[in-house]
Amino acid sequence: MKTLLWFRNPYMGFMLFSVLIMGLPLVITNQYHLGVLVIIAIHSIIVLGLDLLMGYTGQISLGHASFFGLGAYITGVLSAHWQWPPLAGLAVSLPVVAVIAWLIGMPTLKLHGHYLAMATLGFGIIVFIIFNELGPLTGGPSGLTGIEPMNIFGMTFDSDLEWYFLSMIFLLAVLLLSINVVRSRVGRALRAIHGSEVASGVLGVNIARYKVGIFVLSAMYAALAGWLYAHYITFISPSSFTFMFSVKLVTMVVIGSLGSLWGAIFGAALLTSMPEFLYVFHNYETLVFGSILIVVMIFMPMGLLRGIEDLIAWSWHAARRRLSSDGGEELS
Amino acid sequence: MVRPEYGTRTSNVTRQPFEHCLMSFEQQILQFVITGITVGSTYALIGIGFNIIYNATDIINFAQGEFVMLGGMLTIFGMHILRLPVPFAALLAVVLVALFGMLMYMLAIRPIKSPTPITLIIITIGASIAIRGASSLIWGKEPYRIPAFSGNEPIPFLGAVIQPQSLWIIGVVFTIVLILRQFFGRTLTGKAMVASAFQPRAARLVGIDTSYMVLLSFALSGAVGAVAGIVIAPISLVTYDMGVMLGLKGFCAAIVGGLGHPFGVIIGGISLGVLESLGAGIISSGYKDAIAFVILLLMLFLRPQGILGKGRGNRV
Amino acid sequence: MTTLLETRSMSRYFGGVQAIHELDLVVQSGVIHSVIGPNGAGKTTLFNVVSGILPPTSGDVLFDGTLISELAPHRIAAKGVTRTFQNLQLFSDMTVLENVMVGMHLNSKGGFFASAFKLPSVWKEEHRIRSVSMDILEFTGLEKYASTVAGSLPFGRQRVLEIARALGAEPRLLMLDEPAAGLNNRETSDLSELIGRIRDRDITILLVEHDMDLVMSISDLVTVIDQGRKIAEGDPDVVRNDKNVLKAYLGEE
Repeated sequence: MKTLLWFRNPYMGFMLFSVLIMGLPLVITNQYHLGVLVIIAIHSIIVLGLDLLMGYTGQISLGHASFFGLGAYITGVLSAHWQWPPLAGLAVSLPVVAVIAWLIGMPTLKLHGHYLAMATLGFGIIVFIIFNELGPLTGGPSGLTGIEPMNIFGMTFDSDLEWYFLSMIFLLAVLLLSINVVRSRVGRALRAIHGSEVASGVLGVNIARYKVGIFVLSAMYAALAGWLYAHYITFISPSSFTFMFSVKLVTMVVIGSLGSLWGAIFGAALLTSMPEFLYVFHNYETLVFGSILIVVMIFMPMGLLRGIEDLIAWSWHAARRRLSSDGGEELS
Repeated sequence: MVRPEYGTRTSNVTRQPFEHCLMSFEQQILQFVITGITVGSTYALIGIGFNIIYNATDIINFAQGEFVMLGGMLTIFGMHILRLPVPFAALLAVVLVALFGMLMYMLAIRPIKSPTPITLIIITIGASIAIRGASSLIWGKEPYRIPAFSGNEPIPFLGAVIQPQSLWIIGVVFTIVLILRQFFGRTLTGKAMVASAFQPRAARLVGIDTSYMVLLSFALSGAVGAVAGIVIAPISLVTYDMGVMLGLKGFCAAIVGGLGHPFGVIIGGISLGVLESLGAGIISSGYKDAIAFVILLLMLFLRPQGILGKGRGNRV
Repeated sequence: MTTLLETRSMSRYFGGVQAIHELDLVVQSGVIHSVIGPNGAGKTTLFNVVSGILPPTSGDVLFDGTLISELAPHRIAAKGVTRTFQNLQLFSDMTVLENVMVGMHLNSKGGFFASAFKLPSVWKEEHRIRSVSMDILEFTGLEKYASTVAGSLPFGRQRVLEIARALGAEPRLLMLDEPAAGLNNRETSDLSELIGRIRDRDITILLVEHDMDLVMSISDLVTVIDQGRKIAEGDPDVVRNDKNVLKAYLGEE
């Protein structure tokens, strides 16, 4: 989970990244591209949470699309039917999703094995069916229209540029929160669980509670992303919250490397932008995603980014060894 | 109407015959139960496929549903391209899918260096969607059909009707269960498989090639899955994504009955099928597919080891 | 001196194997109490049951008068019991200092919310955890390894780190599972001295060991078990010469 490259102090990396993000619109002015970046930010928020879950607890959620969808539909319904302001929608969806995730996580994370994967799989499908069936409330398969555009204390966000900054600010906030968690006592406890579950238990770490905590956190991230999504597109339909999307999210984590925050953003960016720029990709999407998952997991089980890092580090060391055995001059 | 993305082909299975409007309430219930047993037997058969691989390797093969789909697809391929009569096409399909199962093991599972649960889940999911993606490219997205094995004339039964294909399904499933019982209980190879699943080291010490046993389990799972796809095809049509729901529900059947338990999965599958059918008929058909997963969740929360599973206190 | 740990007719079976059979063990506070016995005698199983990793098949385990037999490991740890592992269960990807900081988990505060938002209480607490952990590293002689990754430590140092980490929890009872295994003579005598210093801090020690010199030199009380049953108990000298003990170790005459 430690990336070899870059920053000893992740806060330094965070500052640099923030500057980069804030300055990007100077270079990218195309509205369509900015729109893609907004979606990348939204996906990155979900993937950050899922990455923490998979990287630190070794568990997998096959239903994160449903938390994303719940975040979107709760605020969407409140907004479209009863004209609740967006912030109020967020204030409802976050705790509701947190409680649901807690209810799912508590019984399943106490057990060893694939139980969380199965439970989230089942839950995801149930939620998808509910979105489709509760027609009067959710608009059914044709979707929900009439969601109010984003409005925070009177500030409206209409242009793609404004949305770029809004979504990036939320992404940076979530990233900062995640860095804080990873570098704290909580993060240490999680890494300890990953290092040796039995040792962490006898040292007093309540393993189930931490696993559930990270799961709930990841669900809340997804709900936040759903809230942004609903008020950005102002139209949502169940087809955005399918099992296939849950699998795509997992693929983003796998590309980015489990447990790596930067990798999460990288994976989200890569897999969100690829279909946008390779239209012909659409027909081959499932085949390509499936093959990526298989190949990466076989050869780089920690994730693609980490695999590439290891490869670079290995060849760097191999080069050093060859140089020092050639001339005898030690590279510092 | 916008169709939900995942396949809902199985809803055709519970389409009730016309007569049901004229039936009394008890007869309608009986009709639902009959349909439920039919579908449930298929779920059980698919669940058996899960169990075989799980028992041999501790792996949950999320691509099991695709074996089902391939069984149907390859049969149609045999029928239309190779011009074989249905039984031969079906046999060929079963053999091909068994080989495919072995191929999948050798290409996707064996090369793994550090088989953690999360790695294996991701790989089998990856295999599942890759197979599905390839299938949509090769055979397209339209449905295909296999004719019913012995016609469509419904057979009257206590005021309800049974489709002849239902009898085929139930018959085939129980035949396979008996065959497998004989195989695992009486034949040397079968017993060797059980032994290597239970105690791989001990099995190796007595000369059993455990990696061959694992290969065999994938072949057997593939064959069983293919059979399930072939028997249900006349009722529910064959499409590139039929494996998703069927696989997941077969998986539910296995979990509900107790993952790995040979009889549990039959109880699990049939109960699931009957409850699903009753629920769809009596309460609402829109939520039909959700029923299986609600039962799954309840099982995981209340009794994760399943109906017949042994008390697993594998607490953290 | 009070009874700190007690097992009452405690048994642990694995199928047909009686790993521990109706064991009555009493550990008084303030002592160094050793448990010895031939291989397979059930010593590590004893530790696993007391620390909550396995439940007893029958009988009770009491710590400071309260029943701990059915509690989860982290709850038992919260009562003041920690242990080390025979086969080392370090957090190898974390630094030496971080390992000890995890050891302090029970003695520190900071949940998800406070940590995520980096509240002032968390700032101060982090500082305190770090400095106490450094003290423990100094106490155990590992301070110069503080930023080293635990997995790359020399083996002897790893054994000491396991102990240092367990000290972070400020336990009342510290269970050491073969801490001297694989150590050379000098490392063993350092270990012996460390154990003595730990006892001087009012921490009771339950020691499982094969190194007889170590056991005989530092123990206040020795219990000998064989095939899951207690066969002798007493002063090191008394036990050393006990006929049953010799028979268990050396076989029938």
